[in-house]
Amino acid sequence: MIVLAPNGEQQSLMPLNVGPSHGATHGCLRYMTALDGENIVASVGEIGYLHRGFEKMAEQGTWQQVIPYTDRLNYCSALMNNFAYCRAVEQMLGIDLPERAKVLRVIINELSRIADHFICVAAAAQDLGSTTGFFYLFDSREMIMVIWEKLTGARLTNSYGRIGGLYRDTYTGFEEDVLAVCRQVDKNLHDVHACFDRNRIFLDRTTGVGKISAERAIQWGWTGPCLRATGVASDLRKDEPYFDYETYDWDVTVGTQGDVFDRLMVRLAEAEESCKIIKQALKRLQPGPINVDDPRIRVPDHAHTYQDMESLIGRFKTVYEGIHVPAGEYYSSSEVANGELGFTLVSDGSGKPWRVKVRPPCLTQFAAFDELIDGALLADSMACLSSINIIAGELDR
Amino acid sequence: MSHCENRVETPVVATAEARQEFAEKVLPILESRFGAVRDEDDQWGFTVVVEGAQLRNVVLFLRDGHEYRVNMLLDVVGVDYLGFKDYTGPRFAVEYALKSVYNPSRRIRIKVRVSETDCKVPTISDLFPIANWQEREVWDQYGIVFENHPDLRRLLNHAEFQGHPLRKDYPAHKRQWLSTNDFLLPELEARLEAKGYKIISRSKEVVPDAEEYLTGSIKQ
Repeated sequence: MIVLAPNGEQQSLMPLNVGPSHGATHGCLRYMTALDGENIVASVGEIGYLHRGFEKMAEQGTWQQVIPYTDRLNYCSALMNNFAYCRAVEQMLGIDLPERAKVLRVIINELSRIADHFICVAAAAQDLGSTTGFFYLFDSREMIMVIWEKLTGARLTNSYGRIGGLYRDTYTGFEEDVLAVCRQVDKNLHDVHACFDRNRIFLDRTTGVGKISAERAIQWGWTGPCLRATGVASDLRKDEPYFDYETYDWDVTVGTQGDVFDRLMVRLAEAEESCKIIKQALKRLQPGPINVDDPRIRVPDHAHTYQDMESLIGRFKTVYEGIHVPAGEYYSSSEVANGELGFTLVSDGSGKPWRVKVRPPCLTQFAAFDELIDGALLADSMACLSSINIIAGELDR
Repeated sequence: MSHCENRVETPVVATAEARQEFAEKVLPILESRFGAVRDEDDQWGFTVVVEGAQLRNVVLFLRDGHEYRVNMLLDVVGVDYLGFKDYTGPRFAVEYALKSVYNPSRRIRIKVRVSETDCKVPTISDLFPIANWQEREVWDQYGIVFENHPDLRRLLNHAEFQGHPLRKDYPAHKRQWLSTNDFLLPELEARLEAKGYKIISRSKEVVPDAEEYLTGSIKQ
């Protein structure tokens, strides 16, 4: 299109469509740019290619039947989404988890966080042409996936969280596997930092690219590592502690510039902090119950069902009617790998949720994408896109 | 690590007392100045119900009128109460979840009830840029109109989608045949114009309106 630029010059801009099925638009999203040579003059984003009606489907079943859907929100760290949803319902029910369940949730949360951050940084490295970095990071991520297979029976969509506890207890050798992951993460982080920190090509592609100020990031509703990269030490695990996060010794990592480099490095540093938490949590892991002792909330196991009338009733009631969550409305939020994952739940007192609304952390980040890549090179928009870690599953729901 | 640092200062922790204190402090002001009422449905958090006409004033007051600095809009949620047990109020509600980034005990949800006949809420997309997309989503899913919204289009569903799927009277099993993606060129041109560019000649793909664009879909 021929335009008259603000400086009075006549220019020819090329509208260029990127996505929805493009190698660097992880998942399925699209943006259209007006290009002046290689520079982006303006751009417009479009989402919704992975919209599958999560919120409508959640209203159709019982409270427990929402859990498998939450796996599909952020499929890079499905277990965290399970726990965030379960926690929201547990808060409405007013129940407190047994110690072992809390410690296990912390360990699994932090392992998921490492896996999620590593996928983000690995994919960003791949987009920038560093296949070596990609494989270093996928090394320990694969070990975590193997733990998921042993623990939950699935690699990606685990559905391991339950309202009032966990699906099942850990397997023999879980602790050793987790410790081995921690060791591997340390080693991989060392290698990746050696790859990136003084790499001229990587630094040129990432420093000063896609910058956003802390003030602007807050206006756009950014949370999680992307907000922390701008220098705001906001982390729900510290601010509004749950699962006893306040009793672990770890630090919130912040960046200073709010550019692509900071967003990626904050994620790597957070993986290090997660390892610290996991090591402390493993020391606290004692044998004990993993579910609340209430047959109306957590389905009793077979041994009890066949022996005890109350458990038998509980088993039928929870499966057929669902858990009776007290009528009311609540907004609960948890810190997942990408930021604040919020669930707005409306209950009418029956076994089915009236309304489940997800606040996906990605949406706020992608909404600001046009501003982020304003005036940048087209190639830099790819670096930006991978650094804000868009997961289309939760973006589009 | 070249320019990332581990911050050691103690962050503000949101305790139950701090939340209670914030609610007790801000509620009387909202009640007297904006006619807000505490929502008893939310027995776990802090929600106030306000009239649609007062929404922008309340949001502005919380954002920068006072020392509260509730500076982040987290979510805009639509709710349809059609058939809700023992419910007699207006059919819809729009809820705004806000928090203060620097003091997380300051969390508040603002609820506006919307009747089916009126179905309008003033936009706050000029106060929080993120509200632009979040309001588009509520419009898409519930058909609630946000007055003075700069670009009220569907966000998640296709441009040619009929109806509003999250309404309770929209059947969950209903299918629609959809084939096109969004028509982004007019918006791209609008952005360029907002930046001071003047369009002299259009690309040949630009058709006059979205209506004509949709006629090109394979549905025809």
